[in-house]
Amino acid sequence: MGNENTIEVKGMGKKFRLRAGGTRTLKSSVLDALGIRSGKKEDFWALKDVNFSVGKGETLGIIGANGAGKSTLLSLLAGTKTATEGSIKTTGIISSLLELGAGFHPDLTGRENVFLCGALMGIPKAKMTAQYDAIVEFSGIGSFIDQPVKHYSSGMYVRLGFAVAVELDPDILLIDEVLAVGDSDFQRKCIAKMEEFREKGKTMLIISHDLKTIQSVSDQILLLDEGKVVGIGDPEELVERYESITRKKNAKSLQREWGTGEAKIAGVEFFDKDGNVTDKFMWGDPLDVRIDYESSKKLDNPVFGFAISDEEGHLIYGNNTQLEEFQVGSIDGKGSLKLRLNEIAMATGTYLFSFSIHSEDHKTNYHRVDNLFPIAVESTKEFEGCCHMPCKWGNIKT
Amino acid sequence: MIALLKSINERRELLQLLVVRNLKIRYKNTSLGFFWSLLSPIFLIVIYSVFLGILKVPIPLPVLVTGIIVWQFLAMCLGDSLNSILGNANLVTKTAFPRIILPLSMVKANLINFMLSFVVLFVYLLATPSVEFGPLYMLPFVVLTQFALCLGVALLVSCSNVYFRDTEHILSMVMLAWFFMSPVIYPLELALSKAPEFLHKFLFCNPMFGIITSYRICLLSDANPGAAWIAISYVIAWSVLFIGIAVFQKLEPGFGDEL
Repeated sequence: MGNENTIEVKGMGKKFRLRAGGTRTLKSSVLDALGIRSGKKEDFWALKDVNFSVGKGETLGIIGANGAGKSTLLSLLAGTKTATEGSIKTTGIISSLLELGAGFHPDLTGRENVFLCGALMGIPKAKMTAQYDAIVEFSGIGSFIDQPVKHYSSGMYVRLGFAVAVELDPDILLIDEVLAVGDSDFQRKCIAKMEEFREKGKTMLIISHDLKTIQSVSDQILLLDEGKVVGIGDPEELVERYESITRKKNAKSLQREWGTGEAKIAGVEFFDKDGNVTDKFMWGDPLDVRIDYESSKKLDNPVFGFAISDEEGHLIYGNNTQLEEFQVGSIDGKGSLKLRLNEIAMATGTYLFSFSIHSEDHKTNYHRVDNLFPIAVESTKEFEGCCHMPCKWGNIKT
Repeated sequence: MIALLKSINERRELLQLLVVRNLKIRYKNTSLGFFWSLLSPIFLIVIYSVFLGILKVPIPLPVLVTGIIVWQFLAMCLGDSLNSILGNANLVTKTAFPRIILPLSMVKANLINFMLSFVVLFVYLLATPSVEFGPLYMLPFVVLTQFALCLGVALLVSCSNVYFRDTEHILSMVMLAWFFMSPVIYPLELALSKAPEFLHKFLFCNPMFGIITSYRICLLSDANPGAAWIAISYVIAWSVLFIGIAVFQKLEPGFGDEL
């Protein structure tokens, strides 16, 4: 039993058909059938080529940006959606916290709804009856259990939903961002319950945007990006990769590129103090940049510049070869420049680098790339603002 | 087919709970509750008997009331079937279970309602001196066939409404036509005497034609127009069920995406 996989997903893909017109009507189908397009139809792969397996007793965290396919993946595992291709195998009773109290009918009492939920999950009535008291106790609903759930407060509703899902003792628990609801007391209860689940050797799949929590509770992390598996494995490593992807995506919206193109910035690489290529830096470390350029004709004394902006695109610092009185000389064809910042003085965050090449008299802009190159800085130094300036305090004796 | 029956059998507790839920919700927040199931057919009989007397419509009351109560079973199922998947979207998108249980539980709940109306009808017929019962032992088979037809049509309507929201409007027109094509408010003899002879077997292609006629044969000792004709209705009623199941199973995997 030990190494048995409770969940196995092979070559799985899920395609959605997007319709411009919204819901399909008789008219639109007839028109489609006749070949007269009433709305543009597009296939959209929410998930493609997904392979992974989860062993018994393992906790798998699923992370990714909005629209990466996380919730679709859980619906497929829960069996509410059907995969377009590939296979999904699960063993045991699945309880999903896709939406707490989803199956509740407002006009039925708490008690009736608890039994209905159990039946929906396929749990025999005898077992339900045995678990019933524990459910009511965990939910803390008390005598309200015999009231129609429409009279419940939203907190009671969520608590009862959670109590049903966990107390029914499923083999696999699917959790989609439910930790975000409820008060802090309830959240503590949830996390304690999840811990208990782990100890019992149950399999859990968790979706969360709370990267710190998910990193600490997961044995493995699955990183999804635009429907594809970027990686699966060590939580710390994958959370880091996710953050790096997010940085690049955020930076994208601020990106701009223009110029005459007589000379071009062909590539930029950042190096840490040990000479390794990276986009993560520590406060106080040096930062080296290698800028590859390419010019289509001979240009005399072009000026190379760079700028650092924060995540919103606000300029923090900029400088160029002319201001620093560095003569690039004449360039023709391919070549490279290096740039060193002796000490990174920014606060923790993401920063965007821009680079430019223009003529000596600033009249011709050959090439300029704005905010194309993000780096992350982690600072252990405490100060206000985004940039540290060396300063010294002292007493004046009078 | 066997796999389907097996999966339904595995979830019979869910089926039972959903049937109970359907019945409970119908009369929730009413003070008379379940009594409405008995009261509405009683009122129906009273109202028709009053107005039939005033308007002098040439149809005996027992014939009319039998037709209407039998028709109501089908009409209720079809009305409810529009929402048996759509109205349970929260269950369909959040939990996995054989979806056929939703329309099945709805039709079963309506069957229970029909049975209660039937009890009222039976008591009324007992109390009516002009009524002579026919072969009552055939009734379970007639009810079962009507159940098959109701379930078959409910399956088709419920999944069609998931994909085409036009279903609701089409259904109301179809229901009206179907109502007048079935011998609900007119006796069988009237239909047979008005329609040319060669059309008679086509009348029985409407499964409700044979079913309502069977009820009247069993309950009112109406003349049997011919076993072969009634057989046409029965074969079609059961075929509708199998077509309904096949279509439903084909479309079922897409429900989650569509809702």
